[in-house]
Amino acid sequence: MKKLLSITLLLFITTIANSQIIRAELTATGLTCSMCSKATYNQLISIAEVEKVEPDLNNTTFIIHFKSNTPVTISNLKKKVEDAGFAVGELVVLFKLDKQVAENNTSFLLDNNTYTFMDTKSSTLSGEVKLKILDKGFVVDKEYKKFLKMTKQYPSYVNTNKNTYHIKTL
Amino acid sequence: MTEPASNMPAKSFGIRNMNAFMFEADGKLNYHNMPEIMWGINKKWMIHAQGFISNRQEGGFETEGGSLYAKYRFFSEDNLKSHFRMALYGRYSLNKADIHQQELETMGHNTGYEAGFIATQLLHKVAISSSLSYERALDNNPNYKFPITESNSAMNYTLSVGKLMLPKVYTSYKQVNVNLMLELLGQRLNENQKSYLDIAPSVQFIINSQARIDLAYRQELYSTMIRTAPNGVILKLEYTFFNAFK
Repeated sequence: MKKLLSITLLLFITTIANSQIIRAELTATGLTCSMCSKATYNQLISIAEVEKVEPDLNNTTFIIHFKSNTPVTISNLKKKVEDAGFAVGELVVLFKLDKQVAENNTSFLLDNNTYTFMDTKSSTLSGEVKLKILDKGFVVDKEYKKFLKMTKQYPSYVNTNKNTYHIKTL
Repeated sequence: MTEPASNMPAKSFGIRNMNAFMFEADGKLNYHNMPEIMWGINKKWMIHAQGFISNRQEGGFETEGGSLYAKYRFFSEDNLKSHFRMALYGRYSLNKADIHQQELETMGHNTGYEAGFIATQLLHKVAISSSLSYERALDNNPNYKFPITESNSAMNYTLSVGKLMLPKVYTSYKQVNVNLMLELLGQRLNENQKSYLDIAPSVQFIINSQARIDLAYRQELYSTMIRTAPNGVILKLEYTFFNAFK
């Protein structure tokens, strides 16, 4: 019993240790000046799982470092940017993955969130990988409308489920 | 002088103090002080409460009234370094001072209300805003009824252009930002068609990306109505507390 428990525990820890979100690069839209950028920075830094935020004032981008071994909820980033009064134009997330198959319409689960591949070349991903979030509110309107037209190829894209994200490899 | 269609960040709190040094035709100075508190409720709503103090009355400084203002941003389209936004706003003011001019102004002179619409286009470092509103004056209770012979309602229209001049390249939040702005402000009284048009150039300094100082000069370009002190200097000081509420 004890042996079974320790094997299960080891497997569980291995699963967590092998897949996680390390950081994200967020481009905010609708702003130019530093006061707007500071308002966005202050909102992002207030997220519990965020360790550090590095702003790039000239490009309105923010590099967001997450606390290690802490579950990350991607939608919190979007909500905080919108609370500041702006929008997310692009979000690229750095994942650490272990032999993850990347194929259109297949998914993986991490921190109770489902990540479904679309517009992606088939491959197997290991180590640190940058994946772009494609859902509504994470891309500019023009890009969202482009993806909406691909519902035949990617049927799950129209369903706006809070815990499901659509991703593509870069 | 005018608000953009954008709102304060959600859950933020701001304080503002407007000092208006307006000159009457004989050179007499009318000083108005308007302290204001501002609250960003969420990304679409903000509310302000303002007080009106001036030295116009005999006997020096007096608190003449106050107002409540709310703005609702109903449309926002954001792109890289640009946006187009539209908002609706409303103000209700109380003022007990005497009614001394044909110009209607619920921000500091008349009891009444104003309801309007603002649109703002931001394109890189330039912001263009325009607004249209309906203003209605009521009696300045308890002592001053609005004169029956005068127009108690007006349409207001504004156009403003602002540009971020400095810094040319950002290196930190601590840099002082300098904006130049030019506003055109007009009013037309509904019952007699009398009108005015003012121009107000201003310079804004943003300190530590959190505090703001505005210095403006307002000048009447033309007027067919009686106005006591349309020209003068305005100094505004503002500070925003981010994440003030949970």
